[in-house]
Amino acid sequence: MQRKAVEWNDGPLLVLAGPGSGKTRVLTCRVARLLEESLDERFRILALTFTNKAAHEMKTRIAALAPGGEERAEINTFHGFCAQLLRQHGVHLGIKPNFEIYSRTADRQAVLENALRHQSDYYERNDLRLLPRIDALKNLLVGPEQAPQYLLSKNGGASKAVERIAQAYQLYEEELHRSNALDFNSLIFRACQLLEHPAFARHYQTIYRYWLIDEFQDTNTSQYALLRLMAGDSFRQVFAVADDDQTIYEWNGANVRRLRNLVTDFGCDVIQLTENFRCPPRIVEVANRLIVYNVQRTPSRRVTEAAKSASQNSRPQIQCRVFPGDEEEVSGIAQEIAALNPQERKNTIVLARNRAMLETLKAAFSNLNVDTTLLGRRDDFASPQMRWMVTCLKQINRPLDRRNMAALNEMFCNFAGMRVEPEDLSSRSETNQVTLLAAWVDAVREEEPSTLPAVEAVARLASGKMRLFDAVNEIIAFFDERHTAHDDFKDDVSAWRRIEREIRQVRGSVALDQFLQEMELRSKEPAPASGAVSLATIHGAKGLEFDTVYLIGMAEDILPSWHSIQKENGNAAIEEERRGCFVAITRTKQHLILSRAESYNGRLRKPSRFLKEMDLLNLSSNDALRNGSQPTAPMTIV
Amino acid sequence: MDLGETTVLVGPNNAGKTAILDALRIALTRRWGQRGTGFSEYDIHMADEATDPKKSSGVRIELKSEERRPGEWPDTIAEDLGDIVQLDLDGHRSVSLRVRYAWNAGTENFEPSWGFLAADREPLVGVAARRVNFERFWRYLPVFYLGALRDAGDEFSARSSQFWTRLLKDLHIPSDLESRILQDLDVLNEQLLKADPRLGQIAETLSETTSIAARDQEGELDLRMVPLKTWDLLSRAEIILRNEPALPWLPLRRQGQGIQSLSVIFLFQAFVDHLLHELYAPGSEPVLALEEPETHLHPQAVRTLWSHINALPGQKIVTTHSPYFVQHVPFRDLRLVRLTTEGTEVRSLPASFFVSFPEMDGLVDVVAQSGGKLTYEPSSETLTVHGNLEENFYRKLLSCCGQDERRAELASRLCDLRAQSSLHVTDDELQALETYARRMRGEIFFAERWLIVEGQADYLIVHAIAHALDYDLDQHGVSVIDAQNNGSPAIFAALARALAIPWLAVFDGDEKGNEFIKQIQNRGFESTEIQKRCRTLPKGDLEEQLVADGLGPELRETLAGIDGENAKNLDDESLLHRLRSSKTKYAAELATRIRCNSELAARTPAAFRDAIEQLRGLA
Repeated sequence: MQRKAVEWNDGPLLVLAGPGSGKTRVLTCRVARLLEESLDERFRILALTFTNKAAHEMKTRIAALAPGGEERAEINTFHGFCAQLLRQHGVHLGIKPNFEIYSRTADRQAVLENALRHQSDYYERNDLRLLPRIDALKNLLVGPEQAPQYLLSKNGGASKAVERIAQAYQLYEEELHRSNALDFNSLIFRACQLLEHPAFARHYQTIYRYWLIDEFQDTNTSQYALLRLMAGDSFRQVFAVADDDQTIYEWNGANVRRLRNLVTDFGCDVIQLTENFRCPPRIVEVANRLIVYNVQRTPSRRVTEAAKSASQNSRPQIQCRVFPGDEEEVSGIAQEIAALNPQERKNTIVLARNRAMLETLKAAFSNLNVDTTLLGRRDDFASPQMRWMVTCLKQINRPLDRRNMAALNEMFCNFAGMRVEPEDLSSRSETNQVTLLAAWVDAVREEEPSTLPAVEAVARLASGKMRLFDAVNEIIAFFDERHTAHDDFKDDVSAWRRIEREIRQVRGSVALDQFLQEMELRSKEPAPASGAVSLATIHGAKGLEFDTVYLIGMAEDILPSWHSIQKENGNAAIEEERRGCFVAITRTKQHLILSRAESYNGRLRKPSRFLKEMDLLNLSSNDALRNGSQPTAPMTIV
Repeated sequence: MDLGETTVLVGPNNAGKTAILDALRIALTRRWGQRGTGFSEYDIHMADEATDPKKSSGVRIELKSEERRPGEWPDTIAEDLGDIVQLDLDGHRSVSLRVRYAWNAGTENFEPSWGFLAADREPLVGVAARRVNFERFWRYLPVFYLGALRDAGDEFSARSSQFWTRLLKDLHIPSDLESRILQDLDVLNEQLLKADPRLGQIAETLSETTSIAARDQEGELDLRMVPLKTWDLLSRAEIILRNEPALPWLPLRRQGQGIQSLSVIFLFQAFVDHLLHELYAPGSEPVLALEEPETHLHPQAVRTLWSHINALPGQKIVTTHSPYFVQHVPFRDLRLVRLTTEGTEVRSLPASFFVSFPEMDGLVDVVAQSGGKLTYEPSSETLTVHGNLEENFYRKLLSCCGQDERRAELASRLCDLRAQSSLHVTDDELQALETYARRMRGEIFFAERWLIVEGQADYLIVHAIAHALDYDLDQHGVSVIDAQNNGSPAIFAALARALAIPWLAVFDGDEKGNEFIKQIQNRGFESTEIQKRCRTLPKGDLEEQLVADGLGPELRETLAGIDGENAKNLDDESLLHRLRSSKTKYAAELATRIRCNSELAARTPAAFRDAIEQLRGLA
C-alpha cells in the first residue's frame, strides 16, 4: 500500500493512514520520485506541512533521496508559503515585500491598542479581549466589511456589540496596514484574497504541478479555502495524507468532516495505510479499542494492524501507575525516569494534557539534576539579551519604527540597567540627522561602556560594515564570555543556531528582512540537549515518536479535560480529547507508561474514561504477566 | 523605452545609441565570480570636471520583459522563473530586473548590485533574490553583441568567436567516421612525406631533439603535414565563396569588407537556429544588439537588409546611420536618439501613452466606458491611453480626482498625459506616409531641422537661395520636405512635433496654402506657434510671387532657354501660364541661376529668405 501511494501518478488522492504507518515517508518518497523522474523539467512540487520542523526534515530527506532535485521542491508550512506568495505578489494588495510578521500576542495587542486609542470614547482598555474575536473571524476568512453581517447571522440580536467588534476589526486591520505588518491569520487571509484572481491561481497551478499536503486532518477553514482557491475549477493534482483519528486542532478550526469535503471537492481516490510500523502490538490493540468509541470517523476506516512484533525487551509494553496525589505523581514519575541511563532518558518523553503539569514536572526534574527539554512552539526568545539583539535587527530593517525602538530600549535596560530616555533619543536623532538606532548607540556609548562590544557590533551591522551573521556571532560571543547572561540565554542561542541553520539551508543567502520574516514564522524552542528528557503537551507531540512514552494525568477532568466534559456539543469535544489520547499513546515505539493520581489539587478524580475504554483499568497487571516477567519498577495495580 | 521585435535607433554620433546597447548588454550578461561587471567609473554621469562620482546616485538600468498577451510565454519559463515572475490582474506575466552601479561607502568601492522588481518597481526580497534566479533569467534572454567594428576574422575564429567556436565545438562526428578520416590523414601524410625526399631528411635531423631530451625510454619525432586530431581538422573550417559560377572560390577573409560584415550577421542566425536552445534553454529568445548593419555595404544591399534583419530570430536592437536602411523600417519601430542639455533623449511614435495614477473612486468606471481607449493596471498604478486622449474622457478623469488632497498634482499629470497623447499619429496616417513618402523617409529622420514646402519647384529654389545666402541646407542638416508629393504637410508637422524635430513651413498664399495651414491648426497647434513656424507667399502661388518680386526678366530668360526665344516677349499672364506648365524645368534652371548669384538671391521671395534666416538658430 505504501508503494502504491508512492507510485501514485496523476489525479487527486487521499492517503488515510494510522499512526506509525509511514505517512511522512510516503510523502517524502513520492516527492523524491516525482523529482527524479523529471530531472529535465522545470515544474516544481509544493509540499505543505504543519510545522517548520516537519518541513525542514522533509527537505533534508528529499535532498538525500533526489540529489539535485530538491531545488524544485517547495516544502513549507501554510504560513511560510503564504508569506512567500505575499512577498512576491503582495503589491496587488498594497503590501510591501518587507512586511513584518507579528507572531507574538503582545505585539498584536499593541497594534489593537494603538488602533483603538483614537477612539477612546468608544473603546476601553479591556477591549483587548476583542483580539480573539478578530482572529476567529479572520480564520473563517470573514473580512471587516463582511463581519457585521456574518456576526448577526451567527448570533442574531446585539447589533451594538457586533458593531463594536466589526469596527475594532477594521481599525486593527488599518493599523496593521499602516505598519506594513501582517499577523499569522492575515498571511492566509491575504493570500486567499490574491488567489481569488484567477490569474494568480493559474500561475501557482502552472509552477507547482503537484501539491502534497501533510497532516491534512488538521487543516483549518482558511487553509482549506486557500487550497480550493488556488486549485480553481480544474486543478486536481492534490495528494493529501491524513489521519482523522489524529485531528487534535479542532479548536483552531480543523474539522473531521474536512476529509470528506476533500474527497468530494477534488474527487479523490482513497488509499488506506493500515499497518503500524511504530508501536508494539499491545499498543496498537488498545489504541484500536480506544478509537472506535469515536462516532465521527471516516466510516470506511479499516482497523490498524501491528506490523512490528513485540520486542525481546523484558519490560512490559504497557504499564499503569497510580499515585495518591498529583504531587506524588509528578515526583514519582520524575524519580522513575531519573533512574534511567542517559541514553534511555534521551529516548523518553513525558506527555501531559496541559502545560502546567509539565512545568511542575520540569521543576521536579530540575531538583533531581535531570536535564529536560520542553517541546512545543515558543513565540519569542526567553532571555532579554537575545530579545534585545532581535529588536536591534528589526530596527535596522525598519529604521523608523518607534514602537520597536521602545522595546529595544526596554530589553537593553533589563540586563544593562540603563535606558535612553525617548526625548533624548528623538533630539539626538534630529540634531545629528541620524537614525533612531544610531542616536541610541551614541547615547549608550557615552553612558554604558560595559556593553560596548555588543553595541558596536550592532552599529557596524547597521552601517553595512559587518555582515549579519558575523555581527550576530560577535554579540553572542560577548554575552557568552561575560557569563552574565541568564540560563535562558543558552537555550536561546541553541534555538537561534537551529533557526539560522534551517533558514540558511532552505534559502541560502538571505537578506535581513527575509531572515526576520522567516524567523518570526519559526518556534524559538531550543534544540534538545543531549541526555535530556523531553516533555511535551499532547498537541506538541504530533508527528513525534519515542522509545518510551509516559502519559501522565490519566484522570477525568484532566484527560478528558474539564472543559470538554462541560461542553454542550455532546460528544464532539470528548471525541477530540479521545483523539488526543490516541495520538499520545501511539507515539510509543517500545514502552508506554500511563499514570494518574487519585486526586488533583486536593480533589478526588476518577480514572480517565479512556483507561476503561482501552480496557486497561483491570487488565493492566496482566501486561507484566503476558510478557513473562515481573515489572522492573514498583507497580501499583489499579 | 519600448523595445519591439526589432527596434532601430537613429541619431547623430555621441547621442547615446551605443550606451543603450551597452546598458542592455551589461544588464543581461553578468556572470558571477568573474571579474569586471561591464561598468566602469566613466559610466557615472558627471555634470562637470569637478563632480565627485562617489556622491552620485550612480547608474541605474531597469529592464522589463513582458508578455504581449497572457500565456504567451511557454509554461516552462513561468515554472523556471516562478520566484520572480510578476503578474497583472489580466494574467500578463513579466519579469523586471534592476541593475545599479554606485559608490558603496561600506566597502569603499564602486559596486554593481542586481535585483528583481515587484510590479510596483520595489525590490523583490526573499527567494527572488537568490542568485540562481539571475542565472535562469539570463538563460532565457541571452544577449549577443555585434559592434560596428565587427571583424569577420574574429567572428569566424575557431578559438574566440561567440558563435563560430561554439558551433564547431558542438559538431558531432560519428566515431567510426572519425577513425576512418584519421587513418586517411595518416596515409595522406605518409604520401606527402614521400613526395619530396627532403621532408624525410628534415624529420631525421629534428629527431635529434628527442635523443637529447630523452628520458628512460626513447622518444620519437615525426613530421605532420596534415591535421593530427579531429579538432585540428575542424578548427580549420572556413567559409569560401564565389559570387558567380565561373569565378574561382575565395576564402571569406579575402572577400570585400561588405561581404565579410554581412556574413557575420548570418552567422548569428545559423548559431541561433542550431545551437541556441541547446546551449541556453528551450524557450530562450536571443537579444541581438547590432551596430550599423550597413557597414561597408552598397546602398542597394542596404535597402534589402531590413527584411533580413527583421526576419532574424529573437529581439533585435539596431543602430544605423543609413537612410537606405531606415527607408524600410516601420515608423513605430524607429527611435530617435539625441543629446540635449538634459542628457540623452529618445523620441518615437508610440501608439499609446501612459501616466502613473493612483486608484481613485470612479476610475474603473471611466475606464470601462472608454471602450478600450483607456486601460488601467492597479498594481503598477499605470493609466494608459491608446491614441489621443479626447476631451470628454479627460474631463471624466479629472472629475475622478474629486476632493482628493493630491488633486492638483493628479490634475497636472492628466494634463501632461493629454499633451503627450496629442502627439499621437494614427496607424492610417503612418500607412499613408509609408505609401507616399518612402523615398524621403530614410533621409528626414537623420535631419536636424525640417523645412516643409509644397512642391518640387519650391524644393529646388529654396535649396538654391540657401546656398546663395551661405547657409547650405545639406551641410546644416536641414531636410526640405516637398509635402504635397509625400502626403500632406500637416502629417509632417505632427511628426516633427512628436519627434521633437524643429520645423518651419512656407506655403503658397492661395486657397490651397491656407488649407494646409488650417490642417496644421487642426492638429492642435497653438496659433502663436503656427505664426512662428508657418509662412505664406503674400502674392499667391510661387510663380505669382516670383513675378511680383520682379524676377520677370530672369524667368522669361529661363523659359527662353527651355521653350525658345519667343518666351522673352510673353506678357505676365501667359508667362505665369507657361511657368506653371513646366514647373520643375524652369525651377531647376532658375535655381542654377540663383545658386551663384547673390544679387539675384536677394530678390527672391522674402518668405523663403526669412525662413532660411530663421532656420539658423532654430531649436
